[in-house]
Amino acid sequence: MAFIKQTAPRTTHTDERAQKRDFAGLTAELNDPDPVARRWAARDLLQHSQASAVLAARLAVEEDPTVREVMLTSLTRLGDATAVAALIECLRSEDAPKRNAAIEAMKALPNEVAPIMGGLLGDADPDVRILAVNILESLCHPQVEAWLIEVIERDAVVNVCATAVDLLGEVGSQAAHDALERLKKRFPVEPYIQFAADLALQRTAKA
Amino acid sequence: MKRILIIDDSATVRLYHRSILESAGYAADEAINGMEGLEKALTTPYDLYLVDVNMPRLDGYSFVRELRSHTAIAQAPSIMISTEAEAIDQTKAYEAGANLYLVKPTRPDILLPYVRTLLGESHP
Amino acid sequence: MADITISGDDFQKFREFFYRKTGIQFEESKRYFVDKRLVERIDATKNSSFRSYFTMLRFQASGAELQALINLMTVNETYFFREEYQFRCLVDSILPEIVARRRDKSPIRIWGIPSSSGEEPYSIAMCLLERWGGINDWDVQIISSDIDTKILEQARAGLYTARSVEHVPKAYLHKYFRQTAEGYQLNDDMRSAVEFSRVNLQEPADVRPLRNFDVIFCRNLLIYFDDLSRKQAGETFFDALRPGGFICLGHSESMSRISSLYRIRKFPAAIVYQKPGEGNEAYSDHR
Repeated sequence: MAFIKQTAPRTTHTDERAQKRDFAGLTAELNDPDPVARRWAARDLLQHSQASAVLAARLAVEEDPTVREVMLTSLTRLGDATAVAALIECLRSEDAPKRNAAIEAMKALPNEVAPIMGGLLGDADPDVRILAVNILESLCHPQVEAWLIEVIERDAVVNVCATAVDLLGEVGSQAAHDALERLKKRFPVEPYIQFAADLALQRTAKA
Repeated sequence: MKRILIIDDSATVRLYHRSILESAGYAADEAINGMEGLEKALTTPYDLYLVDVNMPRLDGYSFVRELRSHTAIAQAPSIMISTEAEAIDQTKAYEAGANLYLVKPTRPDILLPYVRTLLGESHP
Repeated sequence: MADITISGDDFQKFREFFYRKTGIQFEESKRYFVDKRLVERIDATKNSSFRSYFTMLRFQASGAELQALINLMTVNETYFFREEYQFRCLVDSILPEIVARRRDKSPIRIWGIPSSSGEEPYSIAMCLLERWGGINDWDVQIISSDIDTKILEQARAGLYTARSVEHVPKAYLHKYFRQTAEGYQLNDDMRSAVEFSRVNLQEPADVRPLRNFDVIFCRNLLIYFDDLSRKQAGETFFDALRPGGFICLGHSESMSRISSLYRIRKFPAAIVYQKPGEGNEAYSDHR
């Protein structure tokens, strides 16, 4: 027994092209009982610019985390309005891993998410608002600081404000100082808010 | 000195808990998500875990469940910290194997007595 | 050059950002090391302050500056038996588990990427020959890939400098190399133990045929990828592995920054990652 080489590349059943790899074939395979087949379909659908709708439809019911992960990657790469809408739907999911994966995906799509950010930050659900602030972390947009300041001025829920203060420490400027001081007064008995606001004040002080 | 692992995707939250724990005489390490937490837990024996629920890569519930499946390190207690205040989330936490469930934002006067109790220490 | 200084707060901000992205944590003792390189990059990118540089770094779509910074902050040198504890893990823990689970005599397949100039796959081959009892009972296939065809040619040629073989045990050096005027030449048997191939990890057509591997080594490559490409690579490797297969990353790399698909396995010599699959529930705990 020893080191061997092979002359031809090895493939497995999903590579034998039992199903056609065109859009119709891949869409069908997206519902295959075998998760490996679904995963390959989700990956190959990336080659088709109109794939977002079928990926989104399947994502809503897909329970296998390995397939979901590839679907989210493909949707992120496609990055069109349908894809973004599907990702936003995931924010409302009861499933923590699904929510978190969607946030990560949206962080990679700052320009696509920017137009709807205002709406997300004003969502009725405080959890969605928290997740929206999380997405702001990678959003390069002139309004980010203004949005964050508005959150800490207006939001009634302490954890939403906490998430916003966090980020202000990293991307904020002196423009946020008054709002940070007012936040401290708004939540005088919350040690975390005092801590995070002081840290943000320190980190956004003039160099 | 007792060693505590703080697992949270927010650097500020980690810093906050670190300052509370270090002031109280504990050593603290940090991890950014459940997976990194597990890697650190498998490398260093921690006495207690402070675990955020909502993290990418491996959320808090999954972390605790995985932790409990590694018998060598399964014994250390864990406190789960979450923004969720619903009863259902508490149940999920205890089912995963957490010892305690606290709602964010935490406060030192609430956190520390629990830490001491779980570490089997007396209270000052 | 403007007089750029990095304040304590700047360092903290940078440290947190870099840790979040790469998992690499800079202690206070590394201030000088980090500050020096930051100032170098601030200047190179024509920024006049840390603040403007940091904004650029955080939001640059291409991630090129972050890559340049990572390159600067990490030492990336290739040589034989680099991160040797992983080869020990392969021989002592991973392979025994794989063969114990095997129901047929199909070859053990190992994939290494990037091959660079070949030090890594040849080191693996040597370890298997010298330290793995199973080498007499099992066929092993070692495939090593790189995107760069010139480096692949170099790897196939098997000619190395003294520096590259510095960590090769003397006995192996005598057995597998011969010293020439040009350097240390790997012998033909060893050169034929590894199959080199050109692969662009981010090209689906290149990676599709690469399947059914028992072990993958991908060390100090993904750290240079952006978040999404890293995640895709994690998914690619997942499908390239057999169920229950293993993957080893570089010493400062972690799946925690890449993908949630894998289980962490702690062995005496190393922490590695495993694709879930049949038969490995029994191995969920380890000494």
